[in-house]
Amino acid sequence: MPHQPQTGQTAMSVRWMMIPAVILTLAMVVFPLGYAVYLGFGGGSPATGFGVANFQRLAADPSFWSALRITFGLFLSALVLQLVLGTALALLLNRYDVVRGLVRTAILSPFMLPPVVVGMIAIVVLDPGLGAANWIVQSLGFAPLLWLASPNWSLLVIALIDTWQWTPFVALIVLGGLQSLPARVYEAAEIDGAVGFRRFWHITLPLLGPTLLTAAVLRSVDLLRFFDIIYITTQGGPGNSTTTLNIYAYKLGFDFMDVGYAAAVMIVLALLVLGSVLFFAGLRKRVSW
Amino acid sequence: MDNKQRTLLPTVLFSLGAIIFMSPILWMALSSFKSPLEVTAYPPSLVFEPTLENYEELFGRTEFLHYTWNSFVVAGLSTLLGLVLAIPAAFAISWHRMVWPATVSLFARMAPGTLFLLPWFIMFSNLGLSGSYTALVLAHAVVTMPLALWILLPYFDGMPREVVESGQIDGCRGPTILVRLVLPMIYPGVVVATIMSFVFSWNYFLFALALSGFDTKTAIVASFNFIGEGTTNWGALMAAATVIALPPLVLTFMVQRWLVAGLSFGAVKG
Repeated sequence: MPHQPQTGQTAMSVRWMMIPAVILTLAMVVFPLGYAVYLGFGGGSPATGFGVANFQRLAADPSFWSALRITFGLFLSALVLQLVLGTALALLLNRYDVVRGLVRTAILSPFMLPPVVVGMIAIVVLDPGLGAANWIVQSLGFAPLLWLASPNWSLLVIALIDTWQWTPFVALIVLGGLQSLPARVYEAAEIDGAVGFRRFWHITLPLLGPTLLTAAVLRSVDLLRFFDIIYITTQGGPGNSTTTLNIYAYKLGFDFMDVGYAAAVMIVLALLVLGSVLFFAGLRKRVSW
Repeated sequence: MDNKQRTLLPTVLFSLGAIIFMSPILWMALSSFKSPLEVTAYPPSLVFEPTLENYEELFGRTEFLHYTWNSFVVAGLSTLLGLVLAIPAAFAISWHRMVWPATVSLFARMAPGTLFLLPWFIMFSNLGLSGSYTALVLAHAVVTMPLALWILLPYFDGMPREVVESGQIDGCRGPTILVRLVLPMIYPGVVVATIMSFVFSWNYFLFALALSGFDTKTAIVASFNFIGEGTTNWGALMAAATVIALPPLVLTFMVQRWLVAGLSFGAVKG
């Protein structure tokens, strides 16, 4: 409400009612974050002493650079797949107005499933020997695939699994953007004779820019931190073909108890996530209309 | 003829889409009712005699019932804690039109969970809480509280300010106004926040993986251990997956109308 409280009324202060939430945030988020940074800079470790030793080690660590490349590979391939397929699905849903009943359930189900369950299904369906996926591939006349057991393809397969789970989510967000586009723009376009693909490319797509970038922000945060499905299915393998930064950091911290170094890797990952969000947010400002 | 074509194409496309998105989930449910011999048959069988063997194995010969109970305890209590903290906070944030709390919770949501995990692990060990329900519930509240806050804020913002002011005139204090006047008006938001918090907490893997003890493992962590043990009992594995998938799917189905609207709203405004 825009108007000020009437004279004679004192503006009630209920600021104190957020104290419990602030306490939880301080204890469980702010303090641990500070502590993680302290650990990353060698705090509490006699071996390295306080300083940038962990970050120097990181710069010289081939496993770190490999994990960084893999993180970006997964991030870019899955993001592009999901934005393209999600937009296509949204255009169809918008055109035929069928987002209700069974279609809506089918669309919402994948991304409400626990990623762990998706991983468990992938183990069974994508099994190179007995899985249903190879049965379909063979019925179509192709040679069976190794799927997650192939060092060359495992990362792409992970990207495809995530695309299966999250394309509907992107589609729903883009659908919301499509439905809020001003109708008069389309009327003007029709007068100018822009139809079909030309209309999509020159009018719809630029107008969808902000919506697509919102979807990109939401997905990139999850994709850069990707963990569950990899940990369930390949645990970073075969070799280290699916060892993302998050998987690498987790193994360093909890399997090898290399706490300070693990914290340093996690700090880099957190900065990457922050950087990508700021990048997309900045881009979003430039394309907004 | 033209009209027929116009309805045929979308029907085919949407059927195809529905098959792609639903078939892995249906395959999971189907496989959970196959006998051990049937589930590894190649080529896979679509027609078979359904059996409850896998569920008997899962609940009879493993502690899975106990782990499922753990999941309910952790998801339920962290949802409760998240709401108890988020409702008054959302009220205060909305009433005073504060901006920074939303930014803070956004940053918290962006940080990789692994970044919290190491300090938590050390904290809870020092407090003698490692492996306890308390540790798990607190960790999951970090997921549920910001989520509930995000869902609730638009409901609080959309409520007429006069409602609160009228309570003030009657001499009521903040908490009374919140419980007696505001909550009855925004209960749909509270329902959605409850359901979504429960689903997110139920689905969360990483925190329970590192922080749960032998007795407090959630169903999700337990089924990960089944895989680790090298069990090739796919039937039991799919039965476990089906049991874990059921609560989120049922709850999502209940709030699907809101989900579609809520997501699009966030995108347009976001």
